[in-house]
Amino acid sequence: MTHPMIQFDKVLKAYGALQVLKDLDFSVDNGEVVSIIGPSGSGKTTVLRVLMTLEGIQGGTMYVNGEPLNKMNVDGQLVDASKAHIRRIRSKIGMVFQSFNLFPHMTALDNCNESPIHTQGKSKAEATEESMRLLEMVGLAEKANHYPSQLSGGQQQRVAIARTLAMHPEILLFDEPTSALDPEMVGEVLEVIRDLAKSGDYTMLLVTHQMGFAREVSDRVCFFDGGKMVEQGKPDDLFGNPQHDRLKQFLSKVLEAG
Amino acid sequence: MKEPGPTNGPGNTKHLRGMSMNRIAIVSALIAFLVGMTFATFSEMRVFLPAILKGAVVTVQVSILSIALFLFMSVISGIGRLSANRPIRWASIFYIEVFRGTSLLVILFWMFFVMPEFGVTLSPMVAGVTAIGLNFGAYGAEVVRGAIAAVPKGQTEATIALNMAPYKRLTRIVLPQAIAIMIPGMSNLTIELIKATALVSAVTLVDITYAAVQQNQLHYRTVEIFFITMLLYYVFAQFVRFGGEALEEHYTRHLSKRV
Ligand SMILES: Nc1ncnc2c1ncn2[C@@H]1O[C@H](COP(=O)(O)OP(=O)(O)OP(=O)(O)O)[C@@H](O)[C@H]1O
Ligand SMILES: [Mg+2]
Repeated sequence: MTHPMIQFDKVLKAYGALQVLKDLDFSVDNGEVVSIIGPSGSGKTTVLRVLMTLEGIQGGTMYVNGEPLNKMNVDGQLVDASKAHIRRIRSKIGMVFQSFNLFPHMTALDNCNESPIHTQGKSKAEATEESMRLLEMVGLAEKANHYPSQLSGGQQQRVAIARTLAMHPEILLFDEPTSALDPEMVGEVLEVIRDLAKSGDYTMLLVTHQMGFAREVSDRVCFFDGGKMVEQGKPDDLFGNPQHDRLKQFLSKVLEAG
Repeated sequence: MKEPGPTNGPGNTKHLRGMSMNRIAIVSALIAFLVGMTFATFSEMRVFLPAILKGAVVTVQVSILSIALFLFMSVISGIGRLSANRPIRWASIFYIEVFRGTSLLVILFWMFFVMPEFGVTLSPMVAGVTAIGLNFGAYGAEVVRGAIAAVPKGQTEATIALNMAPYKRLTRIVLPQAIAIMIPGMSNLTIELIKATALVSAVTLVDITYAAVQQNQLHYRTVEIFFITMLLYYVFAQFVRFGGEALEEHYTRHLSKRV
């Protein structure tokens, strides 16, 4: 039996009285690349943050490759997950942030080495070999010994991607990875993400305002509004033939804005 | 209001380093000059100076031990205050509130005069170091807590995304960045602490201040004696200040953009 790689089952997320995700059902298959689009405040970032366990949820269950994440099975019963359980499941998920969040007191290489050495217990030599390979892949091998403050935004984001890959996640989450970048640096980061999407090695969930890019790399695009998934479909269908009025409005606004 | 200095804006690190080297040079020249002047002018110094220097050794001992306890308590209770573990958090808050809300001199008297009533007799040195270290540790805890809270939230989120264990998150990511933030505050407190060690004279320790009072009663060289006393405290404070600045520069060296 095959499971979806990511599954949200009636997930409820609220900040006080404000329900940000309303009984969200949502799933992503293994190796699938899914983009999430939608207006500001619709809950796109929240979907990624609850899955990364940066935020707790108030109801429902999230599954990763068939295993519950925020719950665990004890004698056939689903109970709240222990910290150890969450850490075990979470090791399959990596996240790239809008603001990079590199560790400023470490070089690019040490940023990449941090999790392999200090979480996975790899030797320094082994971790460095792999990290250098990843930095090479994102085109930054010669910047390995630079500190984040010595790198441009685009370079920092590429290091952040390498750092995430170094922990060997199966799922990659991207939250508007290029929206904090100067326009001339957007391309270099999108290129890296495009390669990852094409490789088919990862299940990817991408929140973006770049409709062209979403259309190009995604297997499926989901439109969120008001904490619900309003519409989803193949990129060409969703962009070419939107069904819901709200999506039509959203797309016309986005296209107007350019 | 203070007039803005001519060129004292937030300069780059190289500029800062140049400034602090200059200041070290100026201050040491000044100290050397004043000490020389003093020796030249006050011929009777050798009558009281040895006693005062002996007091200075005691002040240094008390300071170093108290600073060690102060730093330890600051870090432990500053982190404890933010702990998810409720008993640890409450114990930290209790400690901080008790020792911040009470006078150092009164704590010192408790250690030295009241504890024996409960069967715990402390030597003047132990009483002094404990009172000062615990009192300043409570203030330091707030500096440490503030510094940890000032580390951007995104740093913690990155450690979660990288699945790091909570104690590695603290020791490898959060604390190294918090240290850079806490140094100015901690170095100010350390200077305050050194000045506050003068209070140990109240529990019979012969530190600089006590020695100065004694020598003054013997020789009546009030101006010279208290001038030297002031100078010694000033020199100790400068050591801490320069040390703090050097440490701060060390910890922030990668954080600003290279020009
Ligand atoms: N920590 C928080 N406390 C309270 N409300 C929050 C918090 N974080 C997010 N929200 C609210 O949750 C809603 C969804 O936020 P979310 O960040 O998921 O939106 P988004 O779709 O990513 O928007 P954007 O396109 O602007 O990034 C918003 O109304 C936001 O104000
Ligand atoms: Mg968002």
